[in-house]
Amino acid sequence: MSDDTTEEDEIVAKLSDYLDGALKGAERDDVAAKIEGDDVWKRAHAELVETRKALSGLRKAHAPPSFAQDVTSTIHTRSAGRFFGRRTFGDRVPFGALVAIAVLGLVVIAYFMWASQTGSLEGHRERAPRSSGSAESVVPKP
Amino acid sequence: MLPAVELERSLLRRLRDRDERAFRELIEAHRDRVFNITFRMLGNRAEAEDVAQEVFITVFKSIDSFREESKFSTWLYRVTVNHCKNRIKYLARRHDRDRDELDDTTTNGVNGTIGAPPPAAPDHALAGAQMEKLLQEAIANLEEEHRVVVVLRDVEDLSIEEICEITDLPDGTVKSRLHRARLALRKKLQRHV
Repeated sequence: MSDDTTEEDEIVAKLSDYLDGALKGAERDDVAAKIEGDDVWKRAHAELVETRKALSGLRKAHAPPSFAQDVTSTIHTRSAGRFFGRRTFGDRVPFGALVAIAVLGLVVIAYFMWASQTGSLEGHRERAPRSSGSAESVVPKP
Repeated sequence: MLPAVELERSLLRRLRDRDERAFRELIEAHRDRVFNITFRMLGNRAEAEDVAQEVFITVFKSIDSFREESKFSTWLYRVTVNHCKNRIKYLARRHDRDRDELDDTTTNGVNGTIGAPPPAAPDHALAGAQMEKLLQEAIANLEEEHRVVVVLRDVEDLSIEEICEITDLPDGTVKSRLHRARLALRKKLQRHV
């Protein structure tokens, strides 16, 4: 890159900051003085101002009048009509929360089954010997 | 009357509930600005319209991921810029250099595609249309990263801080890209401005 280009880059960088209001105090005054007294800076400043003016003066492009209709139609089509409308319970509550609640529910059920006298999880507990119906009481003593 | 922040919150709540009317209100409020960005970034009306549609569809689909840590418009413009970047890359891959539509949209401004120009003498109108075409071509020839900042700053008049938020870039990088973009534009337009 030549020295001229580097210098031009630096001038444009400074002027760019100056036009954006990003320079303060002495630095801003220094650039203002250069624009006033130096032809290169003056010309670069004028060109940048014109360029920015032209850019900000570009006409605003407007979306077509049917734009909103087009977008909602696309959403309806892509979601097969399921996108809009109030969400289901599963959509509103995070999946993790639903899983946690389900696990907690299973633990509670399991506890009650274990704690119950007739629960199916009671199998491992020692049962009291039955008072009647044992082989000994049924078989007559000789 | 509710303040703007409250109105926006209420709209966001309705959007999260997938209220179709809220979606339409959102589109009506932002469609022209989003479309202007996509049009200036892509330089082609059909592409701009397609990308602007995708922007709103993305917003609708991912509204739950918007945490309200920034302004809604900042988030919306971030989605817009990302979609534009993706489309620019896609078009570059397809070597799509066809910018014929640019001529139509810049010279046929009265057909409703672009805001009707103010009444002007024929020479001035022609000069204005030529300048607009020149500018749009100059923007289109910028590197994508330079194009983003110059469109947001000089066309859309957003602040450097907003651009930093939208692009997720530090202040210095945004400014340096802006300098380079303006330098490039100045060189291209030197004989015309």
